[in-house]
Amino acid sequence: MSYALIRTTRLDLGAFARATGTHPDLIRRLAALGIIDARQGPSGELWFPPGQVAAFARVQRLRAGFALNYAAVGLVTDLLDKIAVLEAALRSSRRPGDYPRG
Amino acid sequence: MAGGRDYYEILGVPRNAGQEDIQRAYRKLARAYHPDLNSDPAAEDRFKDISEAYNVLSDPATRRRYDAFGPDFRQIPEDADPGAWRRSRAGAGAGAGAGRAGTAGAGAGGAGGGFSYGAGGTDVDIEDLFGGLFGGRSGRGWGPVPGAGQEAELPLTVGEAYRGGRKSVTIGGAGQRTFEVNIPPGVTDGQRIRLAGQGGRGSDGARSGDLYFIVRILPHPVYRVQGRDLYLDLRLAPWEAALGTSVPVDTPGGEAKVTVPPGTSCGRRLRLRGRGLPNPRGKPGDLFAEAKIMVPPRLSPAERQLFEQLAAASGFDPRRRQ
Repeated sequence: MSYALIRTTRLDLGAFARATGTHPDLIRRLAALGIIDARQGPSGELWFPPGQVAAFARVQRLRAGFALNYAAVGLVTDLLDKIAVLEAALRSSRRPGDYPRG
Repeated sequence: MAGGRDYYEILGVPRNAGQEDIQRAYRKLARAYHPDLNSDPAAEDRFKDISEAYNVLSDPATRRRYDAFGPDFRQIPEDADPGAWRRSRAGAGAGAGAGRAGTAGAGAGGAGGGFSYGAGGTDVDIEDLFGGLFGGRSGRGWGPVPGAGQEAELPLTVGEAYRGGRKSVTIGGAGQRTFEVNIPPGVTDGQRIRLAGQGGRGSDGARSGDLYFIVRILPHPVYRVQGRDLYLDLRLAPWEAALGTSVPVDTPGGEAKVTVPPGTSCGRRLRLRGRGLPNPRGKPGDLFAEAKIMVPPRLSPAERQLFEQLAAASGFDPRRRQ
């Protein structure tokens, strides 16, 4: 019996498959394709950050909505992430009226 | 039901449009309103309408039935003759033909038993909505899919950002929703406030996405905002700037006194430490009063005389090269 010394917030393959309602084989394939972000443990087991459940849901919606193949889904999600970063940067840069003068 | 709107209108195609035109219109609109590509909360309803319209119009059989019977075509028996139906309806009112309510249109498959959008009471399976284009191939087998995250702007005045508190915000197009948003004191422009589970709806009972309010601080007549720092113009008479003075200024937290040291030129920033927007996790912002020297637009004879005296006596040259 082993006890976790810290509360783990990452999910193993089984927990991730249950959380997303999909088969572990599909998850493994998507992780291999780099579409969902997985870490590998010392014995080769996969671990997933909890945020990847939402990322996987987006993959499902995009695939269903646009009939994208997995390569295209990867591309689209990467582009969407980039756009989100750019939009955030655009928001945090000041609007002309708000600039302190001088 | 798509808000009672005509399916052709939703897709923006004429009634005699060909299947290709319908598909092209659908693809374009789907790209614009897909919940993952458009985080506006109103986009999800729009996408749902577009998908439903395409679902009906893309199949020639359901399209014929829609053309003949209108939006209620799913309630009409499949073997009904449009001409006879119209005559009986005109004669006996709306009762006729409603006997077999719930009969799904061919190919529309209302019996999925999955997620229902429920608004109009019509059984619309989300897999039909998402998978409509792809002959039912894609949506199947996924099971429940959580909803997408949504974003909406939250415009706040400087005072609201300073004080925080609750604010009632209404968002969305057709399905308007009102939220009581808890605003922490000292939010900054661009900061996101998360409302868990209030975003896009999930399918098959999966959980909804999150809704994010993005704070936008509205332009203020007095304050300019940069992060948590506030800037304001401090108008001074030439003699006040030269001799020094103490001026009361309004800050969001109440009045404060700014000490103007003697010899203050235009543009000098006088800092009131900690009088900007508060910071729940650390140092509050500062308030900067920027000296702005004003001269009387018209001089009285006495003022003119004094200024002339000053000009004659002073050796000060502001344009002298250092």
